Amino acid sequence: MSDSILRKFRWFWAWDDEREEAWLREMSQQGWHLQKVALPGFYTFAKGEPRDYVYRLDYTRTLKKNADYFSLFRDSGWEYLGEMNEWQYFRKEALGGEAPEIYTDNESKVQKYRRLMGFLLIFLPIILINIINMSRIESKTASASMWVNIVLLGVYVFGMIKLYLRVEALKRL
Amino acid sequence: MDKDLQKYIPLSESTYYILLALSEPLHGYGVMQKVETISDGEVRIGPGTLYGAFATLDKEGLIWMVKEEERRKCYALTPKGKQVLAAQIDRLELMAHNGRQVRPLL
Repeated sequence: MSDSILRKFRWFWAWDDEREEAWLREMSQQGWHLQKVALPGFYTFAKGEPRDYVYRLDYTRTLKKNADYFSLFRDSGWEYLGEMNEWQYFRKEALGGEAPEIYTDNESKVQKYRRLMGFLLIFLPIILINIINMSRIESKTASASMWVNIVLLGVYVFGMIKLYLRVEALKRL
Repeated sequence: MDKDLQKYIPLSESTYYILLALSEPLHGYGVMQKVETISDGEVRIGPGTLYGAFATLDKEGLIWMVKEEERRKCYALTPKGKQVLAAQIDRLELMAHNGRQVRPLL
């Protein structure tokens, strides 16, 4: 592998998009610019001059990702880097110290997180059914699987609460 | 005011400026540029916000696609969109008028 390419694996929860954006910006400030993303969390960076690129992630499952969507971002100076799990990765250089935004009001930010929460909702019955089914079977693997799902449920509830609080905070502003 | 129009008032600042810009047919990026120009850079609309707003306004019948230029859809106000925008402007006139009476006391 050449010195000018860096591949990293990093796991981000769906509610950590802002932390992911900040991490990608820091990488660019060190001269590592995101080239592409791949499931479940592979990031390919290319070495270049350090630049203050601002990264923004859009969640678009229920928005139709059509040509209009992409030409609007391209026209307004956003470079498209790729997609991972319905998250669209865009970047634009911060000029004059001002970080550009793809969502410029709270209403539309709330809409983005509502779309995300709507999608995450489908996991709840899956996790609950797993827990109930596994609790009925008497075996070590079933009991282990049940506990894995209980931990998952904990993470899930934690994430949903975080998203809910973020939406509430945005609505109050 | 018409009940049907009333539910849209007050418009959010972004929606208000998008409708103002669409008094002439424009594509998405044209709206973003025009809003920034007419507000002296005070109001900026990002592509994520604009894309969602266009979808909603189209669904609500306040704007419609009038033509396609260089594979970009141009939108304009529908008659209903014009009524909603007019109602919003009237409301803002009233609010500004009321505000001006208090402004010197502050």
